[in-house]
Amino acid sequence: MTDAGRGEPARAGPDGAPAHEGAESEPDPRFTLANERTFLAWSRTALALVAAGLGIVQLLPPFHGVPFGRRVLGVPLIILGAVIAVAAFWEMTRNQRAMRRGQPLPRSIIPRLLAGTIAGIAALAAAVVLLSAAR
Amino acid sequence: MSTVPPGQDEPGIGEPANRTRLAWTRTAIALAALGAAMLRASVVAGVIVIALSIPVWAAVRRIGPAPDALSSLAALRLVTATVVLVAAAALVIAFLGHGPGSLSELLHGR
Repeated sequence: MTDAGRGEPARAGPDGAPAHEGAESEPDPRFTLANERTFLAWSRTALALVAAGLGIVQLLPPFHGVPFGRRVLGVPLIILGAVIAVAAFWEMTRNQRAMRRGQPLPRSIIPRLLAGTIAGIAALAAAVVLLSAAR
Repeated sequence: MSTVPPGQDEPGIGEPANRTRLAWTRTAIALAALGAAMLRASVVAGVIVIALSIPVWAAVRRIGPAPDALSSLAALRLVTATVVLVAAAALVIAFLGHGPGSLSELLHGR
């Protein structure tokens, strides 16, 4: 890695440890590749969310009596996809920086973000279906 | 980093590098599939998304036999920008597409 995580990495010492306090050294390439695969997996999740949102808006039959029902459900999924794509890139660079500094990896916010938003959209879907059935 | 003969993986790197190449390929396929699905709603947007899947697929070639980590962030930035662009196009289709409750319907009073 030369530019992920910003900053020019310092050369590692002979034992693989940073040459001096606060210095950065390249992590094992296997860790970097795993970090890259995690980013790609989140990107595919983001694409799936966008596809799901677009599918809801375009393919689902309209909810009777709820004209904006499909958009209420689909648009948050599309936005969530964009947010996850950006967050995945941010976390990838943050994790790479932590590995270069020999620090523990910070906790990811994406799983909580994804779970919370999907739970909210599920509740919203239930409300739209019930509202549509009542009308 | 040790010197490795051309065309050979550094010891212990071959399998992780292969898994990463496959992950890039899956991402490119997912992007192309979404582009194909978008063709139904918007031909222009669909073609653009399919075209963007080509450089993502080409990013596989970046991972050499002995990767010295991410040599460039350009490919990763490209994936992020592409997903955001696809989401923006999907939002435009969602709001400006035809159908009950769409903005075009409201604007035209239909």
